[in-house]
Amino acid sequence: MATEVCGQIIAGLVGKILIREKSGQRIELGDLLVAEDKEGYLMLQVFDLIYGSQITQLAREMISGMNLEGMGAGLEFLEPQLRNYIIAEAQGVLRVTEKPHVPKVLPEFFSTVRHVEAKDLKFLTVPPNPVYLGKVRSGTKVIDVDVYLDGEEALRHHMLVPSTTGRGKSNLVKVMLWSILGQNKFGILVLDPHDEYYGRNSKGLKDHKDAKVNLLYYSVNPPSGANTLVISVRSIEPDHLNGIIRLTDAQEDGVRSYFQMFGRDWIENIARGTDVQGVARSTRVVLQRIFRTRFGIRVDDQGNLVCANRVFSESAGESTISDIVHSLEGGKTVVLDTSKLGDEGELLVGSIIANEILERYQGYKADGTLEEKPTVSVVIEEAPRVLGQDKLEKIGDNVYSTIAREGRKFKVGLIAITQITSAIPRDILTNLNTKIILGNEMSTERHSIIDSAAQDLSDNDRNIASLDKGEAIVTSIFTKFAVPIQIPKFEDYVASQATQVTMKEKVRFTG
Amino acid sequence: MISEVVKKVVKDLDGMMGESELGEPFLSSHNYRTHPFNVEHFKPISFVKSDRKIAFVDGGNRELLAAPNFSVQLNRVYFNIFEGRRRIQNSSMPQAVEFFSVTFAVFKNNQIFFDTSIFPVDDKFSGLMPSESDLSFSSADRRLMVGSSRADISRVASIARRFAEWRFSRHVVENELERGDVLVMDGALRTAFVNESKYAGEAYKIAKKRGVIYSGLSKTSRLFTTTGLSLLGAVRKLAENSEVGPLWYYYPIADSLSPEHEAAFFIVKLHEQAQRVFRYEIYGEQAKDLTPGEINEVLCQFHVNSCDASFPGYPYGLIDADANARVRYDEVETYRVMLLSEVSKLGSWSKFSRHMQSEDAHSILNMLMG
Amino acid sequence: MILMQRFAHVSDIHLGANSDPAISRLELQAFNQAMDECLKENVDFILICGDLFHVSIPDLRVVDDAVRKLRQVADRGIPVYAIYGSHDFTPGGKSIVDIIESAGLIKRIVSGEIEADKLKLNFFVDPKTGAKIAGISGRKGGLDREYYEMLDRESLENEVGFRIFAFHASLDEFKPQYLSGMESIPISLLPKGFDYYAGGHIHGRIEGTLPSYNHVIFPGALFGSQTRDHEASGKGEKRGFHIVSFDQLVREVKFVPVRVCDFIFRDLSVDGKNVRQAQEWLEENLESLDVGNKVVMLRVRGELSGGKTSDIDFGRLIRDLAERGAISVYVNKHGLTSKEFAAIRAAGEDAQTIENRLLKENLGTVKVSESTLKGEDGLKLAVSLLNALRPPVKAGESKQNYAERMKEQGIEALGLKEVFS
Repeated sequence: MATEVCGQIIAGLVGKILIREKSGQRIELGDLLVAEDKEGYLMLQVFDLIYGSQITQLAREMISGMNLEGMGAGLEFLEPQLRNYIIAEAQGVLRVTEKPHVPKVLPEFFSTVRHVEAKDLKFLTVPPNPVYLGKVRSGTKVIDVDVYLDGEEALRHHMLVPSTTGRGKSNLVKVMLWSILGQNKFGILVLDPHDEYYGRNSKGLKDHKDAKVNLLYYSVNPPSGANTLVISVRSIEPDHLNGIIRLTDAQEDGVRSYFQMFGRDWIENIARGTDVQGVARSTRVVLQRIFRTRFGIRVDDQGNLVCANRVFSESAGESTISDIVHSLEGGKTVVLDTSKLGDEGELLVGSIIANEILERYQGYKADGTLEEKPTVSVVIEEAPRVLGQDKLEKIGDNVYSTIAREGRKFKVGLIAITQITSAIPRDILTNLNTKIILGNEMSTERHSIIDSAAQDLSDNDRNIASLDKGEAIVTSIFTKFAVPIQIPKFEDYVASQATQVTMKEKVRFTG
Repeated sequence: MISEVVKKVVKDLDGMMGESELGEPFLSSHNYRTHPFNVEHFKPISFVKSDRKIAFVDGGNRELLAAPNFSVQLNRVYFNIFEGRRRIQNSSMPQAVEFFSVTFAVFKNNQIFFDTSIFPVDDKFSGLMPSESDLSFSSADRRLMVGSSRADISRVASIARRFAEWRFSRHVVENELERGDVLVMDGALRTAFVNESKYAGEAYKIAKKRGVIYSGLSKTSRLFTTTGLSLLGAVRKLAENSEVGPLWYYYPIADSLSPEHEAAFFIVKLHEQAQRVFRYEIYGEQAKDLTPGEINEVLCQFHVNSCDASFPGYPYGLIDADANARVRYDEVETYRVMLLSEVSKLGSWSKFSRHMQSEDAHSILNMLMG
Repeated sequence: MILMQRFAHVSDIHLGANSDPAISRLELQAFNQAMDECLKENVDFILICGDLFHVSIPDLRVVDDAVRKLRQVADRGIPVYAIYGSHDFTPGGKSIVDIIESAGLIKRIVSGEIEADKLKLNFFVDPKTGAKIAGISGRKGGLDREYYEMLDRESLENEVGFRIFAFHASLDEFKPQYLSGMESIPISLLPKGFDYYAGGHIHGRIEGTLPSYNHVIFPGALFGSQTRDHEASGKGEKRGFHIVSFDQLVREVKFVPVRVCDFIFRDLSVDGKNVRQAQEWLEENLESLDVGNKVVMLRVRGELSGGKTSDIDFGRLIRDLAERGAISVYVNKHGLTSKEFAAIRAAGEDAQTIENRLLKENLGTVKVSESTLKGEDGLKLAVSLLNALRPPVKAGESKQNYAERMKEQGIEALGLKEVFS
C-alpha cells in the first residue's frame, strides 16, 4: 500500500523548502519526508513548523477576540483545512539515485511529499564491525531500519555524546557497548563514575552471553567473579599526573627528583617523608599533602602505605594495569567502577591505563604491527574535566587531550560524554568525528554542537531542543546524512537479543 | 489649524447626513418603479432544512500589456458549489477557465472600434468562451465613454471576462445543478454592454428550463434614497428602528421595467453578526413564481453559507470564488515577462514599445514619487 | 587460655624440576631444609599448597628422597596436608601424591561435591588445632577456574572457627607484573572472611591483604623450577616458606628463608656486536665474576650485527665458569637474535611465556569449525596438550610404555577419555 501524501512543496530555497501539510497528516519537527522524481528521490528533514493562513492576521486576531469574548456565536471557519494550515520548513538531506549523495538541486516545484518508509533507507546497510545505535526516527515515529556505525572507523576517530541529564546518554552507551561486546574486535575502557554499566543490581553488560569471556569489571568491592580495582602504587609514574593535578615548577621538579632517586617507589618515599637532596622540605610536605588529599595515599600509624579509597596499594595490584591493557588489546571491554573514587582518583586511574595503551600502540605503529591490533577506545564521562578549555589552559594537556588530538593515528580513540560541549576547545571538538546528539535545552550548548557537526545542522536548533529522552541525531563523517535515531531502552534491547541458553556439560569435581 | 478644518469637515458631513428623513428608494425613474419604504417589507429569515445547492461564480482579470491601441489581459472565471457549508465536488466541468484576451483598436465604419480576440489557455475551454464576434465595441459607444472622451481600451477589454462569466454560468447551470438549486453571480444581473443581453438571455433560458434559480449578489451598491442617503444604509436604519430581528430580507424595493435588468431586488442581512447588508437579485421571471417559503429557504441556505468568521454575513462561496478567480500581481509579472520575451524574440520590441510608452508615463511618475 | 598454634605454609617445591644433577640436589636440599625447619619449630601441621612434585609421575629417585623426609616428619607426629598443584596433578589417573597419601605420609584435604550446579566444599578439620581447611587444587591451563565459579561461597563463609582456604592459582590482584596476561582468577571468587588464604602457584613471595581477604599469602617457589625463578633468586629474591601463628585469629605470619646456595644473575646485551665481538665481550665481562659455589644465571640478549647466534660458543663460556667453581650455569638466549635470520621475535622472558604467545598468535591461522578449538578455549587446550606431552621418558621406561603414557595423557588433556574408552 503506497504511503499517503502528507504535503506539497510550495516554495523555498535550497536551505529552506516550504511544504504545505496536508490536513490531518501531522508533520512533526524532525520528520523525514520523501519527494520522488524520475531518477530517484530527495529525502528532506523538517526543521521548523509555522502556521499558514489565507486569512489576514488582523482578521484572525479579530475573530479570536470575538471567540474569546463570547461574541462569535454561530461563526466558524468554513473549510478550515483549506484556509488554515501548517507550513513545514525542511532541508534536503540526501538525494538518492544510484548512489546517495548530498543534494545539489531543488525538488520539482509542487511535488508532493510523503513520510519516509523503510524501503527508502535501504542504503543504510550494516557495516563491517557494526556498533548498534538504534532505529531510524522520523519525528517521533520509529522506522524499522537499524542504524549502525562502523566500529573500526567511528571508534578510532572519536565520538562525542553531548547531552543534558536525563536524556538517556548512559542508556545509549550501554546499547553501544552491548553490541560491541559480542564482537571481540574492539578494546573498550569504561570509566564508570556512577557504576551503571556493569549491572550490579539490574540489567547491564554482565547479562551479555559473551560477558564471561569479553567483559571485565573492576570495582573496589567487586561482586563474585569480578576483579578488585586495586593498583600498585608503583604503577604510578610522574607523567600520569599530567593534566590531572596542577603542580608548580618546584613541585614538578620535586616529583622528578623522587622518581629519579627511588624509581617505582617514589610515591612511597614521598608519603614516608624521605628527604631528597635538592628538594625543599616544604615542597616535600606539599607533595605529601597532595597525595594524601587528592588520591588518599598516606602512611598509617603502623607504617603501612594505605589508600583511603582502597584503590592504590602497596602490596597488591602489580599487574592490574598490564592485565587491563592486555584485555583491551584482546578486544575486551573493561569497566572500571570509579564511583568510590574522587574525580582526580578516577582520572588518575584512567590516565595510567590510557598512557600505557597509547605508549604500546605507538610502539606497534613503529614496529609496523599496529593494524593487527584492535582499536581501543576510552569512554569518559563529564569530559570537560579533562578536555575543558580552562582545564587544559590551567593544568596543561593530559593523555585524554592527546588521544583526542592524535589518538586516531594509533588506533586509540575516545568516547567523550558531556553536558557542556562549549567548554571543549574547538580543535578537539572537530577531532571528535562522530557526535550522537541527545536533547539539550541550553542554547549555547546546542550552538556549540551544531558548529562542530559533520553535517550542516545550522537549522536544527529547534530539532535538537525538542529531542525527547532516547531520541538522538547521529552526525558523523561516516554517515551520509545526520541520521535521526530512536535509541531503544537498554532493557528492551537486551530482551530482543536474548539467545538460547546452551546446555552446559556436567562438571565433575576432582580434588 | 488643520485639526480645526477637520472638525468643520466632519460637522458639515454629519449635518448633511440627516437620518431623520429616510426618503424613498431612488432608482432612475424610467427603468424602475420603486416602492416606498415599509416596515412590512422586512421578512425574517427563519431556519429551514434544505438540500438546495448553490453555485457561486466569479471572474477576474488583469492587464498584462497596455497601450492606447491594445490591451492584453489574463482572464479567469471560477465556480464552486456548496450545499450549506459543505463543498460539493464538481462532476464534469473544469473548476475554472482561463484565457488571454487581446483587444486591439481597429478603424472601421469611420470610427475606432475595439475588437477582442480570445486565446483559451487550454483547448478544452474553447466551448466555454464568448464569441469573438460579440466582442467588437465602438469607442464612441456612450455606455463606454468617459464623459466626452473615447472609451478606455482597458475597460473595454474587461468586457470579455464579463461575457465569459455569463457563458460559464450557463454551462454550470446546465451541467452541475438540478431543479431547485441556485446559481449566484458576483454582481448585479444588469446587462450594460452591446451583446451582453444575448449571453444573459442564454443563461436565463437554460436556468428556467432546468428550474435552477439564477441570481446575483452585489458587494457594493451605489443606489440612493430621495434624501441623498445610500439605499442600503437607509434600509439598515429602518431595520434598526423597527426591531426586525438579526436576520432578515427586505423585499420589494423596486420593480424593473428594463429588459436590460430583468431582476427582482432584495436587500439581505445574512448573519446575526453581519456588519453589512447586500443587494441580492433573482431573475425576474423566476422570482415572481417563488413563494415566500421558497425565498426563505433559498436565503436560509445563503445564511448557512454566510457564517464564515472572516466575513460574517457574506457567503463563503463568494469569498472562495473571489480568491480563486483573482489574477494576482505575481501572476501578471510572470506572464508579462513571457509576453515581452516573445515580443523580443520576434524582433518587434521597438514597434511595441513605441505604443506602450505613450501610456506608461503614469507608472514612471508613480515610481519616481514612490 | 588458648594456646598459640602454628602451621607451616609451603608451596611450589617442584621436586624433580631440574634435570641438572647439581641443581636437582639443591632442590631436594631446599625441601629437606624446609622440613627440618618445621620440625625444629615443632609446627602443628604443614600445609603444602600444590606442586610438591614437578610432574604427576616423577623420577622415582626424587620420590624416594621426598618420601624419606616425609617419613621423618610423619614420625614426629606432624601431619602434612596437601592439595594438588597444576604440575603434580593428573586428570583422571593417579599421581604420585595419591600414592604418598596412600602410604599415610600426606593427606589431601580437598573434598567436595557438586550439587545443583554449586560446588560444596567440605572442611577438613585438623584434629589437633581445630583449624578448618577447605580448598581447591590446581589444574593445568586454568581449568580449575570452573570450580571457583561454581563454588558455594556462602556456606564456606557461614562456617565458624579458624578457617584456612588453600588454593593453587594465580590471583589477579596479586599477580606479579611478569605474569600479566597469564591465566588467573579474581579474588572475589574466593570465599570472604577466612582467617588465612594459603596460596600456591605463584613463584614469587607475596603477602597481601584486601578488604574481606586478610592474609593472602604466597610463599613462592621453595627453590625454583624455571629459569625465571633462578634469575629472580640471582636478583635477590628470597626463597622460603611461612610459619603462621594463630589462636582464634592469625597473630603472626613469619617468613622463613631457605637458602641452599647463592645465585648470580647477569643481564648481558650484545646488541650490535658481531659474533667475534660478542664472544670476546662476554668472556671479558664474565672473567671477573666470582662464581664459586654459585648458580650462575646469564641472560644474553640483543641483535648480532653479523653471524649466527649459534656461532657464539656458549659451551666454552659455560665450561669456563664451571671450571671456576660455578655449581651450574644457565644461559637464557631467548632474547638473542641475529640480523641473518628472521627468527620469530618473542617478547617473553621464558619458554612458557613464549610458548603461550606463539600459540596464541598462530591459533588464528588454523581454520577449525569446533568452537572449543578456537579463541581462549583453544589456547587453554593447546597449552594443556603441550604440557601433557611435555614430560620426558622416565628412567627404565620402555618406548612402548612411554608412548602409551603420552597417548593416555594426551587423550585426557583433550577431554576425550570417554570417546576412547
